[in-house]
Amino acid sequence: MRKHKRKKQGGFGGSENGCVTRESDCGRKHKLTVIHQALIRDPVDIETLRRTAATKGGLLTDELRRKVWPKLLNINVYDLPHKPGRDVRENHKDYNQVVMDVRRSMKRFPKGMPAAERAVLQEQLIDIILEVLKRNPQLHYYQGYHDVAVTLLLVVGERMTIALLDKLSNVHLRDFMDATMDSTKHILNYLMPILEQVDVELHDFMNRAEVGTIFALSWLITWYGHVLSDFKHTLRLYDFFLASHPLMPIYLAATIVLHREKEVKQTECDMAMVHHLLSQIPQNLPYELLIGQAQDLFEQYPPSLLAKRAALQSRKSLSISSFQAFHLSTLHQRPDSVLQRLTRAQDSTTSRHGLEASLPAAQGQLWREGNRMMKMAVWGLSATLGAAVFAVAQTAMDWGPDLILQLF
Amino acid sequence: MSKDSPEEESRAPGSGGGGGAGKGGSRRNRADDNVTILTSSMDFYRAGRSRASSSSLTSSVELSSSSLETSIQTRIFKIIVIGDSNVGKTCLTFRFTGGSFPDKTEATIGVDFREKPVEIEGETIKVQVWDTAGQERFRKSMVEHYYRNVHAVVFVYDVTKMASFRNLQTWIEECNGHRVSASVPRVLVGNKCDLVDQIQVPSNMALKFADSHNMLLFETSAKDPKESQNVDSIFMSLACRLKAQKSLLYRDVEREDGRVRLTQETETKTNCPC
Ligand SMILES: Nc1nc2c(ncn2[C@@H]2O[C@H](COP(=O)(O)OP(=O)(O)OP(=O)(O)O)[C@@H](O)[C@H]2O)c(=O)[nH]1
Ligand SMILES: [Mg+2]
Repeated sequence: MRKHKRKKQGGFGGSENGCVTRESDCGRKHKLTVIHQALIRDPVDIETLRRTAATKGGLLTDELRRKVWPKLLNINVYDLPHKPGRDVRENHKDYNQVVMDVRRSMKRFPKGMPAAERAVLQEQLIDIILEVLKRNPQLHYYQGYHDVAVTLLLVVGERMTIALLDKLSNVHLRDFMDATMDSTKHILNYLMPILEQVDVELHDFMNRAEVGTIFALSWLITWYGHVLSDFKHTLRLYDFFLASHPLMPIYLAATIVLHREKEVKQTECDMAMVHHLLSQIPQNLPYELLIGQAQDLFEQYPPSLLAKRAALQSRKSLSISSFQAFHLSTLHQRPDSVLQRLTRAQDSTTSRHGLEASLPAAQGQLWREGNRMMKMAVWGLSATLGAAVFAVAQTAMDWGPDLILQLF
Repeated sequence: MSKDSPEEESRAPGSGGGGGAGKGGSRRNRADDNVTILTSSMDFYRAGRSRASSSSLTSSVELSSSSLETSIQTRIFKIIVIGDSNVGKTCLTFRFTGGSFPDKTEATIGVDFREKPVEIEGETIKVQVWDTAGQERFRKSMVEHYYRNVHAVVFVYDVTKMASFRNLQTWIEECNGHRVSASVPRVLVGNKCDLVDQIQVPSNMALKFADSHNMLLFETSAKDPKESQNVDSIFMSLACRLKAQKSLLYRDVEREDGRVRLTQETETKTNCPC
């Protein structure tokens, strides 16, 4: 029996099956406006951005993601890390593992993407991961980290990915990046207590089966990027998690298990059978519904409440302990227009950074739209465009692929 | 008073042992038992599943025989596959359970499960394969759970990568560390033999190693279709070995101590519980 209430979802975005009714179209337009207004407020209206990232449809478009994701993580897009140099690959203990994992990650790229382009992105991915690891010697690579990195890269491009991944690795993903997986296991240990709160019978069944929680491991440490085959679902969840507490992925795991409660109970009460069933995520889960439920569960049974339990007491989570400070740091951000001016004043060469910062993002978008001409155009653009055109690009509020084409 | 029906006995609720809380209502044996007996109901359930995507890595449950539905019980043979990252564990297990070489594998995160029913001398045995992550950090706390009650261990190395062969020693220690009994059969698999001009690990070296650890050695390729029988035979030879120990296993279940161990005894008995 589920005790938690259903949260009303905002009526934004297209309907579940992709058919956009007039009403939701209007909601979508409204949401776009709300997001834009939150972005230009000074300081940036971070609470509104968080809310819109979690409510129906999430951040709606990749263009908005490129603007909002950096805000959710307190990143100044006019002061992004440089492209990693060649030396980033030298002498890193995780180099081989990263290469092996990235080379095998073909499934994560859009189906229609030509092999040559995918190969370029894969090389970028290797550099990005190694760059972040080099900047943070206390962090250790894990198989699955590359699934997070690729999701970011496909949306925001190389340099912004480095910045976002660096921040995520120090907060949300921090527990997974210890030398051992003990802290990760600790986070997984929240799963059963949540289930117990909502459905004792299901909880006991799973305990009897001794299924453990490893079926949810890849969900947790890749933010579901490893297990979802539809990229739009992955993005929807990333919007949500970027705007949420680091433990939210485990609450979502709980709602997924609860959602499949009947199936689970009908399965043989056996470790292998239950593990097998649960580790296969059905491809069309009602994500909007589950996200709302995960939020409800989080409110009703917050980590602090669950942590009172013996099994969860012993260990300190760096993700949780660093989240507070992180959260505070996001509250006083200047809007991009101000940041741009400030950063430029600081560094007279920053205009080039700004341009490069924005371009790869456009690349990601274009790739997924599958227009080769445009891709080539952007590639050429990043090499040749001067600061003058950059200024034009930046003043257009909604600059995007169309605008870039117009520049030619 | 001795009992005649080992099957009944095997279904008795938990009888102590290191398995933690009793598994009331479960139709399988205690976690400590080395053989698992399932009634036919779940075979119906599984048989009813579609086999839509034999090419999909994630749903490789295949049914090789319709006789499953009529079998009274199906024994389960649990194999864990370990070895360095990228040696081809996922490809090998998929070649066996799914019948083909997957064109795109991804890094295994944690543990993946695949199974395949095989028929040996008229008996259908379900071979469960636990495909583990190769990265070191997953070994200790994550994979532990899956070493419990395994019937066999498959060690995999990559014949084109000496380091993956050298690391076998740590994998063996890893395995011993998880208290896998010495009597649990272990086999050694050198994978990627199709890459003939890149071979770094000579056969005689591998053979020596296998001998010294009392393992059978298979050199094969998950990729080469001509080798597919060979891949099957790795798992089949292990299944046959279990089959040979059948009478022993049933008898041990009869003993009611809930702590059956596979031993090398090969007494032929005919107390088939069906
Ligand atoms: N040439 C050749 N390549 C193979 C063979 N088996 C696997 N591979 C390739 O080796 C790579 C690794 O294979 P996986 O099965 O994913 O390796 P794994 O041992 O499961 O790796 P982890 O999941 O990281 O532990 C993939 O690119 C496969 O295509 C083989 O027999 N021959
Ligand atoms: Mg694998």
